[in-house]
Amino acid sequence: MTPAVQRVGMKLACLCGTCKNTVGDCPMLMCHYSMPAREQIAKLQEASVSDAEIIKTIVREQGVQALASPPTEGFSLLAWVMPFAAIALGLLFLSWFIKRQRAHAPAAEVDPRVLERYHDQIEKDTARLDQ
Amino acid sequence: MENIGALAILLAFCLAVYAAVASVAGKLFKKPFLGASGERAVYAVWILLTVASGILVYSLMKGDFRLAYVAEHSNQGMRGIYKFTAWWGGQEGSLLLWSWLLSSYSVVAVFTNRRKLRNMMPYVTGILMTTEAFFLMLVTFVASPFQVLMAGRGIVDAGDGSGLSPLLQYWTMVAHPPMLYLGYVGFTVPFAFAMASLITRQPGDGWIHTTRRWAIVTWLFQSTGILLGAGWAYAVLGWGGYWGWDPVENASFLPWLTGTAFLHSVMMQEKKGMMKVWNIILVSATFFLCIFGTMLTRSGLVSSVHAFAQSDIGNYFIGFLAVGIAAVAILLLNRLDFLKSEASLEGVVSRESSFLFNNLVLLASCFAVLWGTLFPVISEWVTGDKISVDAPFYNRVMVPIGLFLMFLTGVGPLIAWRRSSLESLRRAFLAPTIAGAALMAVLAAFGVWQHPYALISFGLCMFVAATIVIEFWKGATAIRAKDGTNLALSMVELTHRNTRRYGGYLVHMGIVVLFIGFTGSAFNKNRTVEVAPGDSFQIGRYQIALANSQDGENSNYIWRKITLNVKKEGAAIATLTPERRFYKASQESTTEVAIRRRLREDLYLNYAGVSKDSQKAVIQAFVFPLVSCIWCGYWVLLFGTLICLIPPKVRLQYPKTEVVGIARKHAVET
Repeated sequence: MTPAVQRVGMKLACLCGTCKNTVGDCPMLMCHYSMPAREQIAKLQEASVSDAEIIKTIVREQGVQALASPPTEGFSLLAWVMPFAAIALGLLFLSWFIKRQRAHAPAAEVDPRVLERYHDQIEKDTARLDQ
Repeated sequence: MENIGALAILLAFCLAVYAAVASVAGKLFKKPFLGASGERAVYAVWILLTVASGILVYSLMKGDFRLAYVAEHSNQGMRGIYKFTAWWGGQEGSLLLWSWLLSSYSVVAVFTNRRKLRNMMPYVTGILMTTEAFFLMLVTFVASPFQVLMAGRGIVDAGDGSGLSPLLQYWTMVAHPPMLYLGYVGFTVPFAFAMASLITRQPGDGWIHTTRRWAIVTWLFQSTGILLGAGWAYAVLGWGGYWGWDPVENASFLPWLTGTAFLHSVMMQEKKGMMKVWNIILVSATFFLCIFGTMLTRSGLVSSVHAFAQSDIGNYFIGFLAVGIAAVAILLLNRLDFLKSEASLEGVVSRESSFLFNNLVLLASCFAVLWGTLFPVISEWVTGDKISVDAPFYNRVMVPIGLFLMFLTGVGPLIAWRRSSLESLRRAFLAPTIAGAALMAVLAAFGVWQHPYALISFGLCMFVAATIVIEFWKGATAIRAKDGTNLALSMVELTHRNTRRYGGYLVHMGIVVLFIGFTGSAFNKNRTVEVAPGDSFQIGRYQIALANSQDGENSNYIWRKITLNVKKEGAAIATLTPERRFYKASQESTTEVAIRRRLREDLYLNYAGVSKDSQKAVIQAFVFPLVSCIWCGYWVLLFGTLICLIPPKVRLQYPKTEVVGIARKHAVET
């Protein structure tokens, strides 16, 4: 397999049904899907077809499942967006939660700067104890 | 014999139902004898399931090919150990193993608490036995391992069986499924205690203290099961992969993530009385994800090479999950008043906040994996199009999340409880940051900048490792100064004083080593060649020559080995003998790879077949840098987890923030 074939193959799923690899890294020597797919990619490359066009051709033949990962358009875009949207939502919730918790924290009756100084002093003393 | 086995399972099912009903009824109607008989029924269930399991194992070992299960999953030529492992090699047997493990856990939980927690235990028994009854219902009525082969009205003896899949005839497969099941099943116990605590409105954190060790041990079993599975894939599948983001692999990873979040989050409840609702949600999510994972392996919901034969068993699991989740949600909503926090978050930059972030990222990882696993099903349902969600998707989504998690692993222990000042942060972060940045600079100079994720990962690993080493160093030097002992003894003393904290740091170190192993995959090399005897080829620093080939046969399979002499920089360093096997019963061929394992890199040789003209051997050669760190990381993780389980020398009392004045007023209002 040439690096050029591997480059395109890495974007295509091996649909042999027994592995979850890509056409570019499927290790099965006699794989009934990856081997012909690699030959097809090589032939198209010899005919100066671009990577994007090769992928389009294979997707036209095999369906969108030929792609190793969901396309970034239409409904499949959700596959990419949702994990990060979940993190963003989690962060929003967390900031709301922290704000709410802080609002309910015991009110300091002394100047915060004084408190801060005491905290620093305690930490320095503790660090000294550790040494 | 099989009738006794089937009867034992049926009786166990009836007794599990009785135990669940009697223990709860005894409590509700104040009839202690009912509760006591319910608890005794738990022991009876275990005895009956041990008998049933014993009969199945005996049938497998003896080769009773009248039983469909024995005929499908074993054969005469298999080695004894693999005949034994056929117990969990198929759907029916593995469900029996699940049930037996749960009954064993239940016996331990009931026995160790026979004089404690009398208010909660009836409900704990009820929940454990309800889950047990569900699985026994499946084993009794849906997937019995004691079905006999029938022809018309007569029982047929198949004479021999089709054998366990050759891929499963490998030593890690002996331990991988039981370990994973011990993890899956084990989380039922903390879940049962959590629910019982909610039902009985137990004051304090009793359920957490009672189940802390359960949760840690269960988590360790899950980790061990996952790593054994990875080890099996690495050594058996012939391409050196240890994780392929297969749906069934993902199913084992999901409860591990929520379980890890739970183990961190309970510290907030123990030390600060916070996150009570969250901990209930986490322990419930972990339990339900264990059930979900069990379902995913058996239902055919998603396609996987690891799944058992497809069946309609998934519908029962969906029913159980739906009822269970609804019941927990209702109970939780009903008990919200009982789960109020006893303290508030005092500083944004605090250990508490870092735990919150840690939980967020672990849960986000869990969601991302679950989403990727189910998205093909969702997409097909919504659009009608089948799509593939393979490794490239997970690598792009999970690698940044994993790196952020690694960053938090380093940051968390550096931040003080309640709040940290900027000065203390600067002091704590300076050395680890310099160490991480220095390593990144050195690696970048050696060309690693071409792999930015790998560069960041190595830098973060160094950062986290430095934080851990500094923590040990500071503590040990303080003890050495006071007691005058040497540094090694001081470290032992330090760890013994607070086993949970320092054991936890060791677990983190194990994760660091694991990450180093994962990162090494960015530098993998591979080459496929056809060679005749006497020919040689080069991969990486190795020159490999084919010496000869040998053939042979035993009762189970036909084999052919090739001998490969390996040289490095002209010097002979090893002789490796990869092998191909053809299993007679299943008519399947497999490869037995030869691996030269070293800490720096593994040389991995697979005898993949013969050339079209049958004159040459086809060899796939791989070099996997740092992959041994994955297995070493596991041992460090195991060691750290075992330390966590040792009782500390100094019994720690966690003073909780007292809720007073304005805060108390707010707490009451909310």
